[in-house]
This record gives sequence, structure tokens and C-alpha cells, in this order.
Amino acid sequence: MAEFVVEVQNLVKYFDGRCVLDGINLKVPRGCIYGLLGRNASGKTTIIRILLGHERPTRGQTFLLGTDSANLSAKIHGRIGYVAEGHHLIQNYRVGRLVKLCKGLSLRWNDKFFKSLMETFRLPMDRRVRDLSMGMRAQLNLSLAMAVDPELLILDDPTLGLDTVARRQFLELAIDVIQKQGRTILFCSHILSDVERIADRIGIFAAGKLVVDCPLEELKTRVRKLRVIFAETIPQNLYLPEIVNLQSQGREMIITVVNWNRQKEAILETYKPSSCTELPMTLEDIFIECTRPNATIQPAEKQEI
Amino acid sequence: MFTLIKREIEDHLVYFIGAIIISAVLIALLTSAMYYDDPGERPVFVVLSFPVIIVLIIGFPGMGASQMYTDRSRKISTFLTGLPVTRCQILTARIITGILAILVVLVPLTVTGTILWRLFAPPIPIFPGLIFDLSVVTFLMGFACYCLGLQTGWTTSRITPTLGSIILTCIFVPLIIVKGFSTQIKIILLLFIIASLIRTWQKFKHTAL
Repeated sequence: MAEFVVEVQNLVKYFDGRCVLDGINLKVPRGCIYGLLGRNASGKTTIIRILLGHERPTRGQTFLLGTDSANLSAKIHGRIGYVAEGHHLIQNYRVGRLVKLCKGLSLRWNDKFFKSLMETFRLPMDRRVRDLSMGMRAQLNLSLAMAVDPELLILDDPTLGLDTVARRQFLELAIDVIQKQGRTILFCSHILSDVERIADRIGIFAAGKLVVDCPLEELKTRVRKLRVIFAETIPQNLYLPEIVNLQSQGREMIITVVNWNRQKEAILETYKPSSCTELPMTLEDIFIECTRPNATIQPAEKQEI
Repeated sequence: MFTLIKREIEDHLVYFIGAIIISAVLIALLTSAMYYDDPGERPVFVVLSFPVIIVLIIGFPGMGASQMYTDRSRKISTFLTGLPVTRCQILTARIITGILAILVVLVPLTVTGTILWRLFAPPIPIFPGLIFDLSVVTFLMGFACYCLGLQTGWTTSRITPTLGSIILTCIFVPLIIVKGFSTQIKIILLLFIIASLIRTWQKFKHTAL
């Protein structure tokens, strides 16, 4: 059994001469909930599509459950649950027919679990998929992906279109899945509070690169936001390694820095600030700092920590 | 695989119904021609069968194009490949469905033709393998038309499939008239089918879903 369920090696993807993914290296260990974050068009969906073999990479290789994405067999697909962005269900089918089709094609089908999901979401079996609301389509797609009892669940913005209650239900379901030993979830979302609630490892894409790839708790301890107040004026030549963002106003300076440690603290002390306080940061704050155009986080340094 | 074939048939049921109707009409025309008292007026039935044959020739590429076009527009393969299904299985199921549609037309016609052959012995000796040759060439031609439909249907253009089927008809019908149902025409059609299927497979496998 492969140690890493998802492996991406030096992945490069160009669309019409535009680099979308630039040398991505990523490994998702078994039993992990991995949250992929990034701004719109940052390459999150592209990497998922390449992993599933829907898209071909320009360079590099990707592996799912130890198999090259270009040669995924039906058996491997049977171990994966996938919820696509925009929920690509067959629109002219009735829900019942679509369920029957999925059931007929799946290698494993947990009918009891699926029925419980259909009851929870109150999905009508006799309506056409195109007549369902966006939220209902998301619920149906999620139920179909969950019913195959997947070893790896890939969710591309799964909570898009879901109301607060349904989103909470989804998160609880995801936690249910992960509680089964050896299950892995790879998902991307723009709702960072959801990611923060369930993910135990985070990857952040910015400008085609994976600028962050580490456990969530580690990320929170690594990126610090400091309010530094100086007695007179702020130093013009302040140098601190790995500053992500620096804003100054009057005697006050707000510094976002990566890998905050005693060395950096000592360097800052040499500028003799009158006070230095740490500001609390949510995942959203970290995400915004990391995806700034001039953010200077080096992926290699990130992965070492 | 059976589920995939069943899905294809259900989604393109109209073509199967059309095939049954066309087959029934051709059988009716053939039988009427044989039972008609005045042999001099038999060509009327042959003329009547032409529009049906043309519908048939346009119908096969139409079916192939429709299968591929609806797949692309409704993102059916995108959904199916999320399940334990490979692109190879999707295309194979599609081709088997096409072959079944051709056989729905051809098998009853061949059976009827053979029965009528036995009932009404021709006044002059004719090559005994004619019905077999006729059936094989018709099958190959129908399948070649279908393959062209598959190939052209996997594009966003609606004009290409229509033009493709018309051009193919214009090429193959005179070719059969000139060459008859000989081995050469079978080889030409077979080569065309192989080339067309390889190209379709290549396009289908490498296109982003």
C-alpha cells in the first residue's frame, strides 16, 4: 500500500502559452485531509483534473493511489470518489436513473449509506438533474461520491452553492469519512473557515507555484503578524529575512514574517522597538498574505519546515 | 460494459426505432416487389427504396456524430470517468452500440433476402454468395459512415459532421457502383474504418474532458 495517496512530481502545465502550474511538487499522505487553496484561476482545478487523467500535463508526472494518472484503470477509479467543480452530472437524466447508472458502474456501493444521505438531503428521485437547484446538485454529487465508499475523496469546491446547514452536514460527512481508517480527502475550497475546520494539511497556490505545503497547525505557528512600535521614527533600512508583507504608518509597523524564530527576534531587537506584539492570524489572514503578488515565500524553505 | 452499452442504447433509442422502421419498410418493399404480378413494374419498388437507403446512409453518421456531440456538450465522459470507467470502455461501448444499430437494420434484411432467394429462384443463374457479399459490403459501408460520424462528432462544429457524411456518401456510392461488391471494396472500406477508428480513439483519448 502506497504511503502517499497523491503524488505530484515537477508538474508544469501551460494553457495557450500561459503557465498555470509551474514545477509543482506535492505529496498527500494516507489518512490526511488536504486542503488546496488559491485564488481564482490559480490552478487548483487543473491539478485535480490532471490527477484524474482528465487533462494532460505539459511536463511532469502525477500519481493517484500509486498509479500514474495517465494510466488509471477502472479499478483505481473505483477507489476514488470525485466531486467536480460545477457538478458535472448528466443534466437530462432523472436522479433515479443517474443513481442507477452510478450503482451499476461502481465496484463498491454502500446502499444503506447512500439512502441515508438521500434522506438527509431530501433529494427527489423523480426530478431531472437540470431541474435541481445548485445546492441540490452539489448534495447529489456528494452523495454519489460518498456511496462508493472511497479510499480517496477528491472534492473540487464541493460546498459551492450549499446553504449553511448543508455545508455543516457536508463537513460532518467528510469527518465521518476520514474517521474510517486509511481514508484520504483532497479538497479545494474558497470558504477558508471550512478548510480551517477540517483540513490537517494545507497547500496554497499563488502564481502557478505551491507556496505553502505543510500541516495547518504548523502553518499557523510559522506565519506571524507583528505590530512593532518604535520610539521615534521607523527605521528606513529594516531588514528581516522572509518578510511577506510590511506596512508602516507613523511609528507603527505591521510585519508579516515567515518562520518566526529567536534569530529573527534578535535581529528585530537590534532596531530597538519600544514594543512588539503579535497579532492573531486566521487561515484567511495567512492566505491573503501568502497570495499577495509580491509575497516572497520560497516553496523549498516552506517544505523543509 | 453492459451498463455502458445499455446507457448508450437508452440515450440513442430514437436511432434504434428509426433502424427498425427503415428495416421494416425495406423488407415490405422487397417482399412486395417479389410478390408483384407484373415483373416489368418491379423497378418502381427499387426506386421507392432509394430515399429509404439515403436516410439510412445519413442516419449512421448522424448517430455517431450525435453520440459524440451529446457526450461533449453534456460532459458525459467527464462524469463517467469519475466512476470506475476508462475512456477506452466508454468508446468501446459506443462503437458496440453503433454496430448493434447497423445490425438491427441489416440482420432482418439479410434473413428476408435469403428466404426470398429460396422462394423465388432467379430465372438466370446468379453468384450464390451475392446476399452474403451484399450484406457484408452494406455493413462495412454503414459502419464506415458511423465511424466518420464518431470522428467528426467529437468536434464543436455542427457543420463538419453533416458535410462529412454527405461527402462520404458521394464517394462510396459511386465506388460501389463501379467496383461492385468485390473484395477490393471490402478492403477499401475496412482500411477506411481502421483509419477512422484510430483517429477517433486518438482524439477521444487525448482531449481534455
